[in-house]
Amino acid sequence: MPGTLSPGRLLFRTGVVATLLVLVMLACSLVGPQTISLKSVASVSTSAAAPNPDYEIFFRIRVPRIILAALVGAALAGAGVVFQALLRNPLADPYILGISSGAGLGVIVAILSGLTWTLWGRSPIALFAFLGALGTVWLVWGIGRSAGKYHVTGLLLAGVVVNAFLSALIMFLTSVAQSQHLYATIFWLMGNMTEEDFLVLWVGGGGIVAGLVGLFFLGPQLNIISVGSQDARSVGVPVERIELAAFALAAFITAVAVSLSGLIGFVGLIIPHAVRIVFGPDHRQLLPLSSLLGAMFLVVADTIARTIVAPAQLPVGVITAIMGGPFFLILLIRYSRKVYWLA
Amino acid sequence: MGRWWLLLTALTLWLAGGYALLGKRGHSTFSSEHGEKVECPLFPARIVSMAPDLTEALFALGLDDRIVGVTLDSDYPPAAVPKPKVGTFWQPNIEAVIATRPDLVVTLTFAQQKDLARRLQRIGYECLSVEIESVEGLFHAITAIGAAAGVEGRAQELSENIEAAIHRLQTATAGRPRTKVLWVVQREPLRVAGRETFINEMIELAGGENAIGPTLHKYPPIGAEQVIAAGPEVIIEPTMIPGNLDAQHRQAVSYWRKYTNVPAVASGRIYVIDGDLVSRLGPRLCAGLEEIARCLRPQPPGE
Repeated sequence: MPGTLSPGRLLFRTGVVATLLVLVMLACSLVGPQTISLKSVASVSTSAAAPNPDYEIFFRIRVPRIILAALVGAALAGAGVVFQALLRNPLADPYILGISSGAGLGVIVAILSGLTWTLWGRSPIALFAFLGALGTVWLVWGIGRSAGKYHVTGLLLAGVVVNAFLSALIMFLTSVAQSQHLYATIFWLMGNMTEEDFLVLWVGGGGIVAGLVGLFFLGPQLNIISVGSQDARSVGVPVERIELAAFALAAFITAVAVSLSGLIGFVGLIIPHAVRIVFGPDHRQLLPLSSLLGAMFLVVADTIARTIVAPAQLPVGVITAIMGGPFFLILLIRYSRKVYWLA
Repeated sequence: MGRWWLLLTALTLWLAGGYALLGKRGHSTFSSEHGEKVECPLFPARIVSMAPDLTEALFALGLDDRIVGVTLDSDYPPAAVPKPKVGTFWQPNIEAVIATRPDLVVTLTFAQQKDLARRLQRIGYECLSVEIESVEGLFHAITAIGAAAGVEGRAQELSENIEAAIHRLQTATAGRPRTKVLWVVQREPLRVAGRETFINEMIELAGGENAIGPTLHKYPPIGAEQVIAAGPEVIIEPTMIPGNLDAQHRQAVSYWRKYTNVPAVASGRIYVIDGDLVSRLGPRLCAGLEEIARCLRPQPPGE
């Protein structure tokens, strides 16, 4: 399969999916609990004398939220591809090495300590999530490395144990927490998508896109490593360096995504698999297509989450699992017969 | 290596550009044109309430015509029912709030409500967040809303009326021994109102005493042992679903049957009362207090 990927074909497929993503984002920004007309969005700008609710709902509420969903979806799906390749494990997802529980612990500590200071007008919760996530990955990476030759198994086990340990801490803290803190925590753990400042989107988006481009540069080496690190070494790939770089970039974009929106499951697991099943396992193609489709998937899921029980909202994680699960199983049944690498 | 440096340079430029473009005021270029409010002598004419007790307070202040949005759970007074809905107080719907073109949004101070206020203020809407977690807080809130809406006189009058009613109730129960009350917020698993709650305050104003001592949680989960040790003389459950008094009372009686050595169970003093009256700290506070007082009143023997 890798031989069949020509640059032209890659560019064409990526272009088609990217166009589709933009169209989906546009369509989703017209859907919401409140009916708005594009005409009045475009007609007049909002002003003190005559506020234009349609304009504000469109540009201040929906567009930022849809951009956020796209960024987070792209980051999670892209990171999922990389973790699956590096750990050579189909069950790997961006959260497998403890990022989720590390970020969760950071958030709970921030909420329980009642932090009131703000950083550029933002609550410190996102910062704590980011630091908790990166700190945990760094710890797990260190433990896994010390397992030496069998470091993939070591990494996975360290990730599972650290995850379990931190989850226990989270449960302990939530059980002694006051109810008003509890709600904020649980909401965050279920994935909390809301509109963000354009500055936050700009900075977060820059980090995520740069991380994804960096991972794309590593695509050819990832192709070789995902077969086995021994083989990769024998053909002259600097395995340790590539692995470290890929891990660092994937962990970084996951941490950014998690700090922007809380924990959203399933995207990082099923999108990479779905793309691999349909388009093949070449990472040069897998990465961009997974990111774009992950973005599209989360934008659609979030649109459903904020409209289906309107005026209330669902946590987007509920929708990603309900939509993604059956869809993925259908793909699995339809395509698995002709895909050799699943065996 | 070259392309890595290129990537890093591009990212740096992107971040610097973003800061130059958007960072100046700490938020976006789509700045709040009506955030920097023009000094406007008129009082808000389009008020949105984000909680049922706030709705009751706004109506009690006589602001009926100026209320343009209430939450779905705002069912009192009846005039609130036909008003446009802006989500529930748990899950406010920010789009619906904006669609009402409010010039004052009144919210409470717990997480989701504060979050909504922060988001609305960022866009440029005027918000007033009031903390109503004690009777004292209710008076402060009434004063604050009155000042914001320009009805200070009505606000003072309303506060005085509530205060007078509380005073009447207290003189009526003065000198009576304090009844020990267990206030059940949830049966399975059992959760009751602790000391640091406004329920506790209401029990005391109505002439009772919380059967549960100081606890870590505001609404502590408790076990059978603590129920027996607390020895409540009265058990009160507020309804969760309105108008379900009898059914819930039957369930409560059969649930508590096993605690034969708890005084409240032995004497059959298990009450279910209208949750809306006692869990909304609003202008109907006194109706709620009277309801509680009625449950605490010593029963004639043989009942």
